[in-house]
Amino acid sequence: MNGSSDVASYLIVVLFLASLLMNFTDIPQRIQLHRFSSFVRRKLYAIEEMEVDARRKAVAYMSSIGIKEPSKILEGFTDNFFLIRPVDIEPTDIIRRFKHLIRVRENSVREYVRKVLDTTERSIQYSVETVLEVVSVLRLLNKLVRHYLELGLKYNNWILVMQLAIQMPELVEIARAYVNSLNAFTSGIPIGDSVGPLVAKMLVNLQENSREISEGTDLYETEVDGRKIYVIKASGPGSNVGWPGEALEKLVEELGGTIDRIITVDAALKLESEESGEVAYGTGAAIGDIGPEKIAMERVASKYSIPIDAVVVKMSEIEALSPISRNIYEGVVKSYELVQRVIREKVREGGTVVVVGVGNTVGVK
Amino acid sequence: MLFQQFDALIMALLIALLLLVLTALLPWLISLTSSKPKAVREELVEVVRCPSCSYESPRKYEKGDYVGKIVGTCPRDSKPLVVKAIYIEKYSQTT
Repeated sequence: MNGSSDVASYLIVVLFLASLLMNFTDIPQRIQLHRFSSFVRRKLYAIEEMEVDARRKAVAYMSSIGIKEPSKILEGFTDNFFLIRPVDIEPTDIIRRFKHLIRVRENSVREYVRKVLDTTERSIQYSVETVLEVVSVLRLLNKLVRHYLELGLKYNNWILVMQLAIQMPELVEIARAYVNSLNAFTSGIPIGDSVGPLVAKMLVNLQENSREISEGTDLYETEVDGRKIYVIKASGPGSNVGWPGEALEKLVEELGGTIDRIITVDAALKLESEESGEVAYGTGAAIGDIGPEKIAMERVASKYSIPIDAVVVKMSEIEALSPISRNIYEGVVKSYELVQRVIREKVREGGTVVVVGVGNTVGVK
Repeated sequence: MLFQQFDALIMALLIALLLLVLTALLPWLISLTSSKPKAVREELVEVVRCPSCSYESPRKYEKGDYVGKIVGTCPRDSKPLVVKAIYIEKYSQTT
């Protein structure tokens, strides 16, 4: 018998058996499930380490400002203070109900922090709230990833585990951004999301004279070439976003709707093809709110037919949570110049404009 | 005859082994050819400004500073100098 034909027939048999195994059994999926689950586990350990790191940073920060038993405060916060979204199958009143629930939750968080930091200034209380929220987010992310991994393994759902594995690098990056944001929140350094308050502060030429128009939200007055400018931003320098929608609503009602233009400034998520720090101008309320604040702006603008503009600085989700980079700072300067140009070109002399600097005012008084 | 058969089988196994090793090393080979991210040094910088004469100057960030904080007096008109911005400056390690 010819030796090479024997080998060829062995190979054909082996290939045939391998093809049977690969096409008509679950073995490839099992192998993939094992590979993807190992990958997810490795990334999950990374997220767990980040959570531990975040907890350590949060505890160190709370100790540094004189909170006794910070670990206990942290444990009491994470896993609690969740918010159940209002019924949306019947949308009547949904904004009012949503706003009510958000306020109730915010007040509960505030009360929880006030109990341990009664005498400390408000900006530090705001920062403690944010630090607790960041640790909570990391805890939730960790639990969610673990949940889907265990669910996939329990039911041998390799598609679920594969989807999770594909998303893991992005989730790890988001978790890393949250951990890094703690450095900014605890040191009081402006983050990417602070572009709105920064532009607001530049417009008022860094002045301090303001009055609180809504809880945690300040109103400044200034002038640009004969136009009266009202500037709204959250009260800093602690980590705080304020209630810009409610503040705008109050101001416009106080002035009886005699406003020529509303300009909103905020950070916006960039597309992958866009550069960080790019500035864009458009129409509408630039605010990344889940509903109530944005609709308050839209409603008051439409009630009095006031044109509402949006100026945004583009950045990634990670940059929005990290200390401001030079590119984004240059975007802030460009948006400040753009806002001034819009005021000069679109508002008559003697007119009135409201500029709303939307975003987290950490590191910006 | 037996030697020829053995030789062919070994060759087939060696080729299969070579393919397996190549597949296993592929990610490493790709990482060798792809460009590595350059090491960068990050430094926090702040811009101080005099609101009355518009004098501006960059300087190193000092712990506890925030935008709007008065940090000294203006060298031009001796009015308060205020922090205008705080941001991260990145320098590549080679410079």
